[in-house]
Amino acid sequence: MGSVGNNLYGGINSSAETVTRPSHCDAISQQIRTFIQMRTNLKVVDNSGAKRVMCIQSLRGKKGARLGDMIIGSVKEAQPRGKVKKGDVVYGVVVRAAMKKGRSDGSEVQFDDNAIVIVNNKGELIGTRVFGPVPHELRKKKHLKILALAEHIV
Amino acid sequence: MQSLLRNVCRAGNRGAAARLLEFAAPVATQPPSSAIKHLRPCGFTPPTGLDQFLCVQNRFISRDGVPASSGFCAKVLMTRGLSTVGTAEVAEDEDDSSSPAVEHPPRIKFKRPDKTARHIMNILNKEAVEKVRTEREIPDVQPGCIIQMRLQVPENKRRESTLKGIVIARRNAGINTTFRLRRLVAGVGVESVFPLYSPNIKEMKILDRKKVRRAKLYYLRDRMNALKK
Repeated sequence: MGSVGNNLYGGINSSAETVTRPSHCDAISQQIRTFIQMRTNLKVVDNSGAKRVMCIQSLRGKKGARLGDMIIGSVKEAQPRGKVKKGDVVYGVVVRAAMKKGRSDGSEVQFDDNAIVIVNNKGELIGTRVFGPVPHELRKKKHLKILALAEHIV
Repeated sequence: MQSLLRNVCRAGNRGAAARLLEFAAPVATQPPSSAIKHLRPCGFTPPTGLDQFLCVQNRFISRDGVPASSGFCAKVLMTRGLSTVGTAEVAEDEDDSSSPAVEHPPRIKFKRPDKTARHIMNILNKEAVEKVRTEREIPDVQPGCIIQMRLQVPENKRRESTLKGIVIARRNAGINTTFRLRRLVAGVGVESVFPLYSPNIKEMKILDRKKVRRAKLYYLRDRMNALKK
């Protein structure tokens, strides 16, 4: 996995989530986090009812979605009474990505997990609350409602 | 080969291409003493006075036979090197009084600093770092420090945000020295990379220094302690 993992643009490597590995192979298991692409599992961080969504299409970028982009996903796991059910095809905005995103002042930011917020195809939120931190990049992408509802802006 | 180099040097001195053709023939029409004179480090007058000073510096250095230390002599030294190749055995003691620019030193083969471009870049980097250090007080951040810093983000929000976290890595690259800060934000771990000498960092304070036995603390990613890490 070590040498393959170094290939940043490998289509095989989906964005890796944090896995507790045995400590003896820590040197090899340098996880290179990559884009959010088809079959990527993401966490849902609003109260729309879904819990996990699998990405089936990234609406921006040939290689995959990054922080702040929109994706189309299929709900894999949902709460019993919510606005969306299991098996629904939904749009989402990526609010946390394990892949680092560069900023204009030379800094970079990366989160520990991949998370989305469910929206409709126009970009309006379905849920009414957003949990966890969100990055500044959403402001440029005009997702101001998400920024307004967020707990913390990174 | 040697004569050709002499010709090149001489042509450089005189600026006359015709002479080059003349000296294509093995017989040298000029008297040997003047030929030797023109073997001097290409005595073309450097354009600015600064270079003249550098030539003088050159002289001192080569006289001692010590390799030149300053990177600014590089340009002159390299051209000097062009003329010294193949003429090392010529030992000169008479000075060229006819040369208008500088006094030519005795020809001794010497070492010139290799990879001089890198040397110049090092100097530029050091200067830039010194400049920033005199303006702002930047503490020595090492992996294992718990840092609190005030940052001003230009991204549409001119408000100063306070970040607190642990430094897990530091990469030294002159002015582009960066450090990696890991913190817990609203229950989610966030890692950020910041340039150490960034003007956006308004203030940086070291709160604590933990003893670590590593330069890069990436193992902390797996051990998400609940306390401030």
